[in-house]
Amino acid sequence: MTLEDVTNIEQEAGKLAGKPQETVTSVANVSDQPASSRITQADFEEYYKHFLPFKSIYAWLNHSPLPNLKFGHREFAMEHFNTQYQRYCCFTSSNEFKDAIVKASPSRFEVGAIYNENLKNKIKGQKSANLKPVEKELNFDIDLTDYDDIRTCCAKTDICLKCWKFINLAVNIMDVTLREDFGFENLIWVFSGRRGVHCWVSDPRARVLDESKRRSIIEYVMLKSGKNGSDKLSLRKPYHPLVERALKMCTKSFQEIIMEDQDPWRDDEKAITHLAKTFPDSKLKDALTSKWKAQPGRSSLQKWKDVDELIEKGQYVSSRTIAGLNQDWKREIILSCLYPKLDIEVSRQLNHLLKSPFCIHPKTGNVCVPFDPKDGDFDPLSGPTLQKLFEERSEGRESCLKPYVEIFDRFVQGLNKEELAKRKTENKENLDF
Amino acid sequence: MFRQTKRRALGRRNFESSVHINAYDNSLKAQELLETVYPSRLSLYTLPPQNEITLDQFETWAIDRLKVLLEIEACIQNGRPLKETEQVIKPLLAKLLPLTATSKDAELLVKERKKDHVSHYILRLAFCKSEELRVRFVRAETTLFKIRFMSCSMSEQKEFTDRLSLPWEAVGDSTKRKLADKLYNACHGVIRNYLVLNSGGANANISEDHIKSFFNQESFLKVPFEYIGDLIATKSVYLHLGFGYVPQVSVLSLLASEFQTSMTRDLLVTRKFLSQLDEDDRVLPVLNHLSQGYVAAEIQSDFTQSDSDVTDITADSVISEGIARHYPLCGTNLVKGVLANHHLRFQGRQQLTLFLKGIGLNIDQAMIFWQKQFTSGPGAMTIDKFQKEYRYNIRHSYGLEGARINYRPYDCRQILKHPRPAKGEYHGCPYRDFTSERLVVQLEEMGINDKQSQVEVLDQKEMGNYQNACTKVFELTHKSQMEKLAASGLGKTYKVDQTSIAHPNQYFERSRNLERWLDKAGEMAK
Repeated sequence: MTLEDVTNIEQEAGKLAGKPQETVTSVANVSDQPASSRITQADFEEYYKHFLPFKSIYAWLNHSPLPNLKFGHREFAMEHFNTQYQRYCCFTSSNEFKDAIVKASPSRFEVGAIYNENLKNKIKGQKSANLKPVEKELNFDIDLTDYDDIRTCCAKTDICLKCWKFINLAVNIMDVTLREDFGFENLIWVFSGRRGVHCWVSDPRARVLDESKRRSIIEYVMLKSGKNGSDKLSLRKPYHPLVERALKMCTKSFQEIIMEDQDPWRDDEKAITHLAKTFPDSKLKDALTSKWKAQPGRSSLQKWKDVDELIEKGQYVSSRTIAGLNQDWKREIILSCLYPKLDIEVSRQLNHLLKSPFCIHPKTGNVCVPFDPKDGDFDPLSGPTLQKLFEERSEGRESCLKPYVEIFDRFVQGLNKEELAKRKTENKENLDF
Repeated sequence: MFRQTKRRALGRRNFESSVHINAYDNSLKAQELLETVYPSRLSLYTLPPQNEITLDQFETWAIDRLKVLLEIEACIQNGRPLKETEQVIKPLLAKLLPLTATSKDAELLVKERKKDHVSHYILRLAFCKSEELRVRFVRAETTLFKIRFMSCSMSEQKEFTDRLSLPWEAVGDSTKRKLADKLYNACHGVIRNYLVLNSGGANANISEDHIKSFFNQESFLKVPFEYIGDLIATKSVYLHLGFGYVPQVSVLSLLASEFQTSMTRDLLVTRKFLSQLDEDDRVLPVLNHLSQGYVAAEIQSDFTQSDSDVTDITADSVISEGIARHYPLCGTNLVKGVLANHHLRFQGRQQLTLFLKGIGLNIDQAMIFWQKQFTSGPGAMTIDKFQKEYRYNIRHSYGLEGARINYRPYDCRQILKHPRPAKGEYHGCPYRDFTSERLVVQLEEMGINDKQSQVEVLDQKEMGNYQNACTKVFELTHKSQMEKLAASGLGKTYKVDQTSIAHPNQYFERSRNLERWLDKAGEMAK
């Protein structure tokens, strides 16, 4: 086999794993951090040794506080400090799990699927044609960069409390959808450490979904119609109950987030592409465009009102039709600005890996803490950081990580209580035979 | 273990005394069978057939069904909507797998339903072997089921679904009233589409009142969301606490996904048990032949290949005009690549090795071919280097190294799935990968010179129907031969194969086959 073939196969394997290339380059541009605050590998080791709640993570992924053979079927991956990426790690117990992570002190570790076989065999290099993922939590990934078209306060990796409102609204919409529509109960939201959040749905019913069912769920929760994520929303009238509910939630926040905080359409170019050009009546389309060209720099709110004013003033054959068009159009704009924007691959692929809760974001030093939207909006700027944790420890104060571990443990307890109850009834049924 | 052997022995004995069994079989009145085993012409095939059939029936029934499935697959690959696929398949079904709804002739009904049932199970055996075959088989069978379900009357459909035991629950009137707004908004589109389809197509004018009164009459089922992926994905049902509320009109979608899941599951089980069949030397060759049936032409060809045909594929002949003129454009392009560079990159090598293997180039000749091409000519590598770096790779493709999988030639779907060729690579599908300008040059090289024909091919390319483009090219380049044959003494016996090209080897076989028929016609004329 030639070198060329090997690379080919490796590329193929990379693709299969659904692992984006980003891991290779991710630590390349550390320049956005002052040199003094760069995190060393020793810092990671320190954190893993003393802070990361391995027992909680183990109890969560094991679906029980008691040892369970299946834990050894679970894939983990580590991104090492030298940016090397290692897949198919597996551990048999909570202690082995902790020891291995402390020893390697990776810049992060990720959680993957449960396989049909113990992964130890794979590591030993034994061939297994049948190795395949059989179970995994259902994940969702929301990232602020997907809102760059509409957010004006920050760009790229930066965030502030203003634009974090997008995320909080998206979390609330997704949370209610997953609970009310699908009946999921055991789900936890986790800050990704910089500009997004992850959701882990751990209900047994969610864990065993195959890829085609996962895809159906994603399509259900997304409003875009285009196969290639085209921007056009596909909204049939009458609106589906999911759309109706989301519209209510988005409308409530629209004034504050879009009109007041972001004001994206003060930019006349943007206003013309986003608003004027999407209006479904050519006469009004032109009227808006020429008005905003003639009076540049009007605020988003003024422009939003311009639409109503021009309709009132304009001579339309059927004022009822145009009013209806206007109403639908406004609803679509509201949804296209505020409805959750999701990364599809994370949710779809059974073997996709996702950073574990309580990891440290290597560039920000933020702890990827879990939160429950029922407790109120999450504040990404005042969460625990590596620096804070180390300071507190040296000063002998209580750790600010504690409440987050408690949130997580509460979630794990709820999940495992259900699992135990399920197992009990199953055992009973078996005894009945 | 003991039980297994015993059962097999029993089976043999039955076969020997099949006269007796058949007599018994016949004595069970057809009417009775209709009531017990074949109550409907629709089936989810949950129970395997119990009857005895001859080896001959075994093969012909399976091939008849396979022909239908292959055509369905071609339709799917070309992205035809279900309605269109139905139009294509219907005549084929009537010929190969007819299922009469009602008839006084109970024996006819049983005969048809038995053939449908048995042929389905034979193909299960043939297609359970690999993941890829399973996926393709399930997809085609599911489509077939949908087509058949759609052609049944409402009452027949309802009768069929009532008989199934699935975790569904009827939604009571009070619940329906309570959820009325949500249910109505969720399934408005589905009902509308249904009414449009059943009242004269797209031009039908369906009023809101019409939809409302239909909705008021409609009954709903409460189904766990896992069973209704399609309906969820299109937001066509109301979903609450893990259950979808499915209107009766959407039941097909529900059945189709149930059909799909249960068959995927069963195929895996079948695969496990197939090993027990290994000792049966009568059935296995037939099954192997069937699963190699990716090439429609191979089955549809009425020629039995003589030995001389097999041996005329050699290291030299594969690049000779006589053989190479039957290649589809992707094959021609790959050969061009080897000849020009004395080398081919990995993907191209894979594609061409397997294609040539598919047309009958054996491993010895393949080794001669590749070595000769890679090591002669200016700038070519040394024989030593070839032996070191490429020999293994070629033997691997023939299943002689490594995992020893006997790889099959890529079909169009696989080719389209692989990464596109980069600069200096020759694999892939030219109808997709070439620019329009470059494709026109190629078409002219193949003798397609008139603008109208070129545009037709380019149109297919633009629409992304690459296999249609290839099929079109085949038709254009073989037009005169087909006309000649039609006018000859064999014109009536030769059946023109109009299915679309789904495999490069199918293109080759079809082209060669046509030539053979022409030769035969020529001989007859003498």
